[in-house]
Amino acid sequence: MPTVSMTVNGKQVSGEVEGRTLLVEFLRENLRLTGTHVGCDTSQCGACVVHIDGNSAKSCSMLAIQANGTKVTTIEGLANGDELHPMQAAFKEHHGLQCGFCTPGMVMSAVDLVKKKPKASEHEIREWLEGNICRCTGYHNIVKAIQHAQQTM
Amino acid sequence: MAAYLRPKRLEDALATMAEPGWVVLAGGTDHFPARVTHTPDEAILDVTALSELKGIDRMADGGLRLGAGVTWTEVIEAALPPACDGLKAAAREVGGVQIQNRGTIGGNLCNASPAADGVPPLLSLDAEVELASASGTRRLPLGRFILGNRHTARRSNELLVAVHLPAPALEATGRFLKLGARRYLVISIVMVAGTLSRTADGTIVAARLAVGACSAAAVRLPALEAALIGRPVTEAAAALQPSHLDLLRPIDDGRADAPYRRHAAATLVRRCLNELARAA
Ligand SMILES: Cc1cc2nc3c(=O)[nH]c(=O)nc-3n(C[C@H](O)[C@H](O)[C@H](O)COP(=O)(O)OP(=O)(O)OC[C@H]3O[C@@H](n4cnc5c(N)ncnc54)[C@H](O)[C@@H]3O)c2cc1C
Ligand code: FES
Ligand code: FES
Repeated sequence: MPTVSMTVNGKQVSGEVEGRTLLVEFLRENLRLTGTHVGCDTSQCGACVVHIDGNSAKSCSMLAIQANGTKVTTIEGLANGDELHPMQAAFKEHHGLQCGFCTPGMVMSAVDLVKKKPKASEHEIREWLEGNICRCTGYHNIVKAIQHAQQTM
Repeated sequence: MAAYLRPKRLEDALATMAEPGWVVLAGGTDHFPARVTHTPDEAILDVTALSELKGIDRMADGGLRLGAGVTWTEVIEAALPPACDGLKAAAREVGGVQIQNRGTIGGNLCNASPAADGVPPLLSLDAEVELASASGTRRLPLGRFILGNRHTARRSNELLVAVHLPAPALEATGRFLKLGARRYLVISIVMVAGTLSRTADGTIVAARLAVGACSAAAVRLPALEAALIGRPVTEAAAALQPSHLDLLRPIDDGRADAPYRRHAAATLVRRCLNELARAA
């Protein structure tokens, strides 16, 4: 079986995987980083979003081996010890979640947004989130949380 | 265990393609959803490290070369002439940000979905595709590359290397309009792309209109294009006749029925012409 190695949340990791192993399976099953969720089988829901070399991507739609040599950040890599990342803190404060299933992907997309477009308008925030589906919140508080994090990030 | 290769040199990729059984993988955004619940153990040729498939370049003759591996995000971010505004608008409509970050032009064309948003704007730019195999390269007009639903003229040993936009089509203004059942992350019911070239006094000298999701492969509208030439841009939309859309073959499916598609296509073509008339 091929060996893949990559930097995940700042740590060098490697593992033997079958060629067809998806990145999300490698993260969840080999590394036991179960914060990255799988919410669909059509690449639509965005629960699986991680950062690959600083860009958000759906980890269900690529092979682990395609991330070989890259820097991957998952939801577990955002907080600094006990201190939440400003985006996580904003989601908490503004009730940007209910069941929480979509939240890891939502937060990872939102962090990418604030880095790429720090001054995004409400409309641009909503557009950016089109690949992240939430069944609970109706999105309003997610948008509010992101607007708050635009000030604190 | 099946193989996985990610060559850096085109000649290595083409040598691999000369053997049967390899599945080409670019951004994977059509590939993986087509393997729902089970990822077969297949031999994967990952083309994302090939520099020949990257970049958007101006050619000496004034045309543009877009590598087949250019992502939709790269199209959105590139400085392109106004003729490519429709292509950029289509890029913004392909899935969401994460899909645009990984999904490529080449994947969109080779997957050949009737609803592929990249096809109408590229047809309206007179795009040609460049295909390479171990025995050489060839170029085809896009309209002769995509032959039907999931059906292209690509031979199994060929890789799509680039898409070429000839200079004359770039001397134009471009637009793209998409109708879906909701605002975001939606498969098109109909999409229309157009480019118009005009003289300084606003007379149309070239018109290129394409409609997608209304036939097995997106089509240009030659009768309408001919009717537009010589007209003032301000009267472009008035030139549209129902017969100009006779070559569409819309189907009934879960997204819309055929009469609705035909009606929506006419509406979008009219809107597209009105927007092009208003564009500077
Ligand atoms: C949630 C979601 C939403 C989407 N929304 C849209 C949308 O709104 N509009 C739209 O048009 N599409 C949409 N798509 C489809 C897809 O994202 C696009 O078609 C994309 O451009 C495919 O590119 P890719 O690089 O990911 O292709 P891949 O999945 O890597 O490949 C697609 C096919 O093309 C072949 N291929 C790829 N590159 C080459 C090459 N260079 N030479 C030869 N063969 C090649 C592959 O073998 C495969 O058969 C969506 C997909 C998802 C998951
Ligand atoms: S699991 Fe739904 S998009 Fe990846
Ligand atoms: S909080 Fe439940 S899906 Fe978003």
